[in-house]
Amino acid sequence: MILVIAETKSHQVKKSTWELIHQARTSGHETHALLMGPSVKLAEELASGGAQKVHCVEHPLLEHYTNEAYAQVTTTLIQLLKPEIVLATHSACAREFMPQVAARLDVGLASDCTQLQWSDQKVIAHRPMYAGKAIVEVEFLGKGPQLITVRANALGLQPIPKTQATIVKHTLSLGPFKTKMAPLESAQARPDVTEANIIISGGRSLKSAKNFQLLEALADVLGAAVGASRAAVDAGFRPHRDQVGQTGKVVAPSLYIACGISGAIQHLAGMRTSKVIVAINTDAEAPIFQLADYGIVGDLFTIVPLLTEAFKKLKT
Amino acid sequence: MHIYVCTRQVPSTETKIKLRSDASGIETAEIKWVLSPYDEFALEEAIALKEKNPGSSVSMLSVGPPRVMESLRTGLAMGADRGIFIEAPETADSHLIAQALARAIQKQPEYRFIFTGKEAIDEGSAQVGPLLATFLGIAYVTVVQSIQYEPLICKREIEAGAFELVETSSALLIACQKGLNTPRYASVPNIVKAKSKPIEMLKLADLGLSEADQKIRYRQFRLPPAKPAGKKIAGDPQTQVEQLVKLLHEEAKVI
Amino acid sequence: MTWEGFLFLILASSSLGYSGYRFQTLFHVLKNHRGKTHPLGNWAERVQTAFLDILGQRAVLRKKIPGIIHTTIFWGFLIISIGTLEQFISTLNPHWSLEFLGTFYWILMGLQDCLTYLVLLAVLAACYRRFILRPEGLGQSQDANRVLLLTGSLMLSIALMHGCELQRDPAWAKWMPLSRGLSYLLENGNPELYAFGSHFFKWIHMLLVLGFAMYIPHSKHLHIVAAGPNTFLKNLKKTKAMRTISFEDPEVSQYGASKLTDLSWKDALDYYACTECGRCQDVCPAYQTQKPLSPKKLILDLKHAMQDQKETILAKNYEALPSIIDLRVTEDVIWACTSCRACEIACPVFIEHTDKIFDIRRNLVMMESRFPPEVQTVFKNMENQGTPWAFSPETRSDWAEGLSIKTVAENPEIDVLLWVGCAGAYDERNKKVVRAFASLLKKAQVKFAILGNEERCTGDPARRMGNEYLYQTLARSNIEVLQRYQVKKIVTSCPHCLNTLKNEYPDLGGHYEVFHHAQYLAMLIAQGKIKPSKNYEESITFHDSCYLGRWNGIYQEPREILRSVGANPVEMKSHHQESLCCGAGGGRMWMEEHLGKRINLARTEQALETGASTIATSCPFCLTMLSDGVQSKMATQTKVLDIAELLNEKS
Repeated sequence: MILVIAETKSHQVKKSTWELIHQARTSGHETHALLMGPSVKLAEELASGGAQKVHCVEHPLLEHYTNEAYAQVTTTLIQLLKPEIVLATHSACAREFMPQVAARLDVGLASDCTQLQWSDQKVIAHRPMYAGKAIVEVEFLGKGPQLITVRANALGLQPIPKTQATIVKHTLSLGPFKTKMAPLESAQARPDVTEANIIISGGRSLKSAKNFQLLEALADVLGAAVGASRAAVDAGFRPHRDQVGQTGKVVAPSLYIACGISGAIQHLAGMRTSKVIVAINTDAEAPIFQLADYGIVGDLFTIVPLLTEAFKKLKT
Repeated sequence: MHIYVCTRQVPSTETKIKLRSDASGIETAEIKWVLSPYDEFALEEAIALKEKNPGSSVSMLSVGPPRVMESLRTGLAMGADRGIFIEAPETADSHLIAQALARAIQKQPEYRFIFTGKEAIDEGSAQVGPLLATFLGIAYVTVVQSIQYEPLICKREIEAGAFELVETSSALLIACQKGLNTPRYASVPNIVKAKSKPIEMLKLADLGLSEADQKIRYRQFRLPPAKPAGKKIAGDPQTQVEQLVKLLHEEAKVI
Repeated sequence: MTWEGFLFLILASSSLGYSGYRFQTLFHVLKNHRGKTHPLGNWAERVQTAFLDILGQRAVLRKKIPGIIHTTIFWGFLIISIGTLEQFISTLNPHWSLEFLGTFYWILMGLQDCLTYLVLLAVLAACYRRFILRPEGLGQSQDANRVLLLTGSLMLSIALMHGCELQRDPAWAKWMPLSRGLSYLLENGNPELYAFGSHFFKWIHMLLVLGFAMYIPHSKHLHIVAAGPNTFLKNLKKTKAMRTISFEDPEVSQYGASKLTDLSWKDALDYYACTECGRCQDVCPAYQTQKPLSPKKLILDLKHAMQDQKETILAKNYEALPSIIDLRVTEDVIWACTSCRACEIACPVFIEHTDKIFDIRRNLVMMESRFPPEVQTVFKNMENQGTPWAFSPETRSDWAEGLSIKTVAENPEIDVLLWVGCAGAYDERNKKVVRAFASLLKKAQVKFAILGNEERCTGDPARRMGNEYLYQTLARSNIEVLQRYQVKKIVTSCPHCLNTLKNEYPDLGGHYEVFHHAQYLAMLIAQGKIKPSKNYEESITFHDSCYLGRWNGIYQEPREILRSVGANPVEMKSHHQESLCCGAGGGRMWMEEHLGKRINLARTEQALETGASTIATSCPFCLTMLSDGVQSKMATQTKVLDIAELLNEKS
């Protein structure tokens, strides 16, 4: 049996959870899902969307995420349900509490996997190493459930038949815990350039601070950060903390979209190792095209708004 | 106050990765080894904390083959007081590393804080910190971007918004994120001093451990599919945009 | 001895004694500096320099009008001093005079007379310049005003003395036409008055001289004592290397200058020699763009700091000395320098401003880890990757893809090694320059090879920014590789690489014949191995790079190359030795420019003013800076090209 640790966001089951459910179902194994805390409200959705059994755990100490609470619940449920395989998304929370589960159960954990290969009862997980420069197989040693966290978006969704699963409520006594967490009020609307997953960057060609609103609109659709080249910062269009480059911030997002940036070496030094680079520039000879995976020779003032619309459509 | 920092030595970001012909790992001969960048934030935090609390000391631990000692010297040059080197094979997994660190730390004087980097840039699992804390029976918090000590408040920004750790009754392991501080550059006198700071050498057997205590093993190392040459998307703006979105979603899979 | 003589003896002993005492103090303060300076020696060349620069006032005369004013006063002072000496001795022993020299004596007296009036004129001209014209470099100085007043008074007293003397003893009149003129004004009749007058003004003169002697140690006029020795003991090398520090020496634990006394006696002598003329400030690119650095102010601030700390230095109480970095000499001042050396070239008394700045940087970086934050990345990149940019050493030969250029490992039988440099290896724009140069070498059938992925940064950025430790690590590793391949001759298209390989590697054991591509290409053209077509029709101007021109004296060859393609380069406002820096030197390429106007914009403006449609460069940093400048100025019609690219197009 495969137990999927489900995650939700804004009253919806996350796409990454569906990826895991689909993957588990396609493998042919019995697929259960675990919901903790406020997520239990979405049990129905999971129950009809592909899980074959949904386990819910509610408790005041699960109101806000803490690694202790989530790890304790997960550990207890695993000990109770005895799945052979446990799948979670390599999210900020799961990557933090799953190792605690592994330690308590004295088993291994394969983190941030991008491919699952099924053979008999075991699964062979594949994961990148050296910032993606190599890919390896993970071999689990010894007995016990295989714990795996999977990178979001890596597996993709697959068509599976709908289900009508049972929802089981578990009552556990939790705590006492050593730590207490509280949500911060001042969560920024837009992520910081430093560790953002997607960055939209603008150069001198934006011509004014106001024009950066075009990039901000695109960033909002993608949940991205907005960066700038040194020329744009010097011209006063953006603050220095948004500067990407040798003397600004060195970044390595999954996606870097450079708008109106020529690609001088000082800038390249700051974003070269981005996983995917898109360049939009009117100058076909701009050095940035040497580096970009995808390039559009065109006017950013035309392209960017179209792009914003297209991504909006994609997201819905 | 005793402060511990656990670090890892990794290939530098720019090093080209070459695979061994038997796919059992990477060729290590020509690699430039460095201290994992996130561990530098951990070291800086520990050293800064030591400086604010006279009489404190920072011990730096690292697990791996003998080459790891050079990274200990780097940390000592930054300001750590002593190093603890635990010899283990190249292939040691997070579980074994965390066990070794836990047993080594348990032998040491009492502590309040253990600092690590949020993840190592070669392995990238982010497991050792949480595993270590659990083995030691202490609390932990990861991806920390700012720390206030009196009262203790750690701030971390994660996808679902920002959270802060407001209370803890135990010792704490903190996994550091970029932006926590600016790691200092070692001065030449400190580099020279570091050469004579003590490094305690331990073997796995001294801690009652062996390779058999590993839980996972990596095998079949292979290179990722070659990145296709950059393509310039042709057509009128609407076509270009639609094509780009399609490629980013389906081919690159980043959206 | 007469009572006069007696009185004079007392006065002279007291004032000269006092003066001597003050000079002794100055000397001890200088001596108590513990830093090292360049080796002396080469005495024959020094004597030659003394003739040309001290007696000949060569450096002073670089600026015509002030130069002539000063030379007049200088030579006037020297000749008139003979008369002064005669005055002193004759006061002590009235029976003695120089008259035994015969006719020569009268010629000397006549010469002194002319010079008196010439010096007076010069003093008036100086006052005109200082008070009416008010050039910025001079600034306002009470000290200068006093000196001018004293000098003027000295001359007046001599003139009046001669005037009276002529009335008393017409034998003098033959030799002193100018004073004769004055003496007509004094015609009054009473011979007693003239005798008295002559004597009186002689005493005024002598007292003024004694007074001056007491004043000099406290004033910038100290330069009359210090400038000569400073010129005699200057660094003779035209090309300049920074001083190498030995990290192996157990005696040395202070690297760089933290306190004033960490600098050397030569630095102290520099302060004494400074006349506050402001020529250095006038040509400083940092000062011109509103940075807090002024070379003149720096020297004076260091001098004043030394005076403030005088007692502590004399007592050798080094522990108690404060840090050099204070309210006056701030970190911004130290980091603003682009190491262009325009200040040193302009200085008439050969003060070396940049060495002090470098030594202060060395302390900041190596001892205190205090430097602009963006520089840490550069240091880390150089440590880990051997290049200031974050690229892999494995991609160093990517620029040569498809060009079938062999590495020296593959092909050791070569005429010359092509040193690519980091910019040529990693920067897309500069890769084109190296490719053009390689193409020219092939056309000339030169047997060359590259180090390929074994090449590492020469260490220039680290050294200029004060990180001597990192520099030596990189340099030693490069020298080892060059040694392994028995490399003897190197050519490079980067003046920074040129300077480091040629002038600085020898200190660490690396001796090579190093050329810049301008020199090498000029040579190939002269040998007929490259035959450019002389049909360049556009207007073009050439930017002299600091590390090529001022640092290494190469000005002609790039222009020769331009002329060989038929171009007729126009000069910018500042050119050759006075060329304005592009702003990237001294490690500033790697730092943010927060203060004042952009230096590269200032130079770009000069370039655009010439109206040329192309700016020619011969340095990857200058190319980057000027290209950026042209873009910032939206001068879309102006091209920026390296001379190799231009030559390659035409060959």
